[in-house]
Amino acid sequence: MKEHNFLNIINPVKDKMYRLALRLLTSKEAAEDATQEVILKLWSRKEKIKHYANIEAFAMTVTKNYCLDQLKSKQNSHLRIVHQNYQNHGPSLQSEVELSDEMDWLQKIVETLPEQQKMIFQLRDIEQYDYEEIAEIMEMNQTAIRVALSRARKAIRENLIKKHNYGIR
Amino acid sequence: MESGKIEKLLELYDEGKTSLAEEKILREYFLNQEVPEHLRSYQLIFMFSAKQKNETMEKAPKVRSNKARKNWQSWASIAAILIVALGVFYFNDTSQVLNENDLGTISDEELALEKTKETLNMVSQLMNEGTADLAYLKEFNKTKNKIIEID
Repeated sequence: MKEHNFLNIINPVKDKMYRLALRLLTSKEAAEDATQEVILKLWSRKEKIKHYANIEAFAMTVTKNYCLDQLKSKQNSHLRIVHQNYQNHGPSLQSEVELSDEMDWLQKIVETLPEQQKMIFQLRDIEQYDYEEIAEIMEMNQTAIRVALSRARKAIRENLIKKHNYGIR
Repeated sequence: MESGKIEKLLELYDEGKTSLAEEKILREYFLNQEVPEHLRSYQLIFMFSAKQKNETMEKAPKVRSNKARKNWQSWASIAAILIVALGVFYFNDTSQVLNENDLGTISDEELALEKTKETLNMVSQLMNEGTADLAYLKEFNKTKNKIIEID
């Protein structure tokens, strides 16, 4: 496999890999490094990859495992991930400010979910994979994935409603 | 679309039982129109998901450069070790050769024997001079015996 062909396969997937890494690692820099590392890993194994039926699912599985390893090693050394995702919100209308505030809240709520639910929510609701592919990526059976997804969706909504009522009651 | 059907789909959605096509209907409904107040939380979640999908990796993935640098570094370290090792061997060898050249300046064997004897005699003389001074230690024993009587 030539470098050119390899990049053609990887390019459509790389943003999905990056978003999954970002969901797990929180920091943009860490997510970019992780994606880059995984792509290098795949490149070094390019001869074997040719024979996989679903390269995309395989790439996502490798990303998932790499990020979980990263998290484990960070926890072992008692390090917290420090991230500085500064954004320049330009001047915007009141309603837009409110909306981006809600989005930040949702971001925080999703961050509190357990890793597995985070990943399944990411794969289903954001990347819109079907259950078969998620099962392949997560190395789990489909029933377990539906249960975890249902839990994640309910937990996100409950937290959101709780937050909304807090100001009123 | 009537909200009754949407609410039914949402129920399935919460249970994780909707298909991708059904979720697409929900997504389009929530992203494109005003929704009743009690469905507002769903709308926010769908907006969040849609927004997250726009996140992209800014760096272009590289395949070569990192690896090349690693290879280059490992070869450089091997070369450095070789240079140091060869250097150490080279300098050790030359110093040994010099030492061997210094030896055997006297070629006549008898003369060499005489010189050796002379040197050894001188050494033993100096040794005896040194031990002569030790005789004073006996004085110490004598005085000690006067003070401490044993038995």
